[in-house]
Amino acid sequence: MRVEQLFKKNAHNWMVMGRDAERRDEVIDTNHYLIQNNGRGLLLDPGGVENFSVVASEFSKHFELANVEAIFASHQDPDVISSLPLWIQANPNLIVYVPQIWVSFITHFGVKLENIRPIPDEGGTITLGGHDLEVVPAHYLHSSGNLSVYDPQAKIFFSGDIGAALLPDDYTSLFVENFDLHTSYMEYFHRRWMPSNTAKARWIAEVRKRDVEMLCPQHGAIFKGEDVGRFLSWFENLDVGSGWSNVR
Amino acid sequence: MSGNLYTRRMGDAYDTIFRQCVSLNTELHRLVPLAKQMHLLSSNAVSSAARAGSEGDAFRVLTQDIQLLGDDVSDCIDDTQKVIGEIVKLASNLARLFSNYMIYIDLKSRLDDADASTSVKFFDRGQKLVAEDIRSHNYKLSRSLGSLTNLLSPIAILVKKGEYLAVCSSVEAASAGDHGVSFEAVSSMLRELVGQLGEQSARQRSLLRDLSDAMEQQQNNQGKLLYAR
Repeated sequence: MRVEQLFKKNAHNWMVMGRDAERRDEVIDTNHYLIQNNGRGLLLDPGGVENFSVVASEFSKHFELANVEAIFASHQDPDVISSLPLWIQANPNLIVYVPQIWVSFITHFGVKLENIRPIPDEGGTITLGGHDLEVVPAHYLHSSGNLSVYDPQAKIFFSGDIGAALLPDDYTSLFVENFDLHTSYMEYFHRRWMPSNTAKARWIAEVRKRDVEMLCPQHGAIFKGEDVGRFLSWFENLDVGSGWSNVR
Repeated sequence: MSGNLYTRRMGDAYDTIFRQCVSLNTELHRLVPLAKQMHLLSSNAVSSAARAGSEGDAFRVLTQDIQLLGDDVSDCIDDTQKVIGEIVKLASNLARLFSNYMIYIDLKSRLDDADASTSVKFFDRGQKLVAEDIRSHNYKLSRSLGSLTNLLSPIAILVKKGEYLAVCSSVEAASAGDHGVSFEAVSSMLRELVGQLGEQSARQRSLLRDLSDAMEQQQNNQGKLLYAR
């Protein structure tokens, strides 16, 4: 498992962990993010029950997890959020931000409504230790209720499954190293999992309104600097919702 | 036995218990058509007695008992199905809870090895909650298994009653002249149905014994794991 700091300024900090070498072959590799601000923590897509102990123990090395006050779930998938009951058992006061339309689905994980803060379709703001994070709609990319998070101070955009890549086992870096080669790891995922070109165009327009230095997906590698713009152009030109004919 | 091997065996044992519950449930479902056939048989017996007129008076009394037997078997099946449904749910929850308990043990062993900012104690609450849930599920499961044993025991008595009614029906058939043929048909069908009921009941009791033994063994192991830590 690799853990790296993506940003640090004063009491504001972003960390990422990914490339879990211990995971079982049949479990997709996932990236997890921890935002810290003034001693308070927010976990983005903390992952499945399968890797709870790895995620918790790795982030524990760098942060007092008792100070994680909230979890953000970009959508309802098990690789995103099925560890939720274990986090809440450890801290019953944990707040869980989820897309509004998934509330009655996520409660199937055994989570009580009192922990859940539904985020409406239009997005909103999450405040962490006095610092505001923007929640940007990313519906139908891929989930029908899907959200991204933008941090204006760190200029980091957490994109969930958008920008995800199915990397080969020997790809150990947490960052995109060769964009052209990287598209071959992303193309099938985006064609197959992303259903809507309209939704795609709206989301790209939202990202372009912001100053983004890093675009951080839940699977695959992080886009830095010029690769962010390259990714947006590549995604813009990709005909999504077209991957199924390849799997027949 | 090393801790890991010990706990892995416990995890396997929960899977076995869950599978045993599912087998018992499947076996109990096989009683449903038997109960339906018994109801059909009692209707046929009533018709045969009616057709026989006054020669069927004594057989008519037997048909009432056959009908009651069918009702008792149906009631017994309904009650056992409710309890087995609860048992399957409890066993499935136990397997999941135990898996969560093992995740906490894994996490704590990782934290023991690491120079962590988070204290191991932070996860005590979660582990304790899961352990309490396991204990409560175990208690409920033991109670439900006890109820199931009690619910299944009358089936043996019902089988005896059915055999007795079949003999009585044969006796009536022998003294009922021309109508004896249809009475004998009821008798032989009844003998066959209670025979099947007896066989299935024996299989269920055997499955239930295996399940109870596995549960007892698991509870002993669990006591060592949950209370020792």
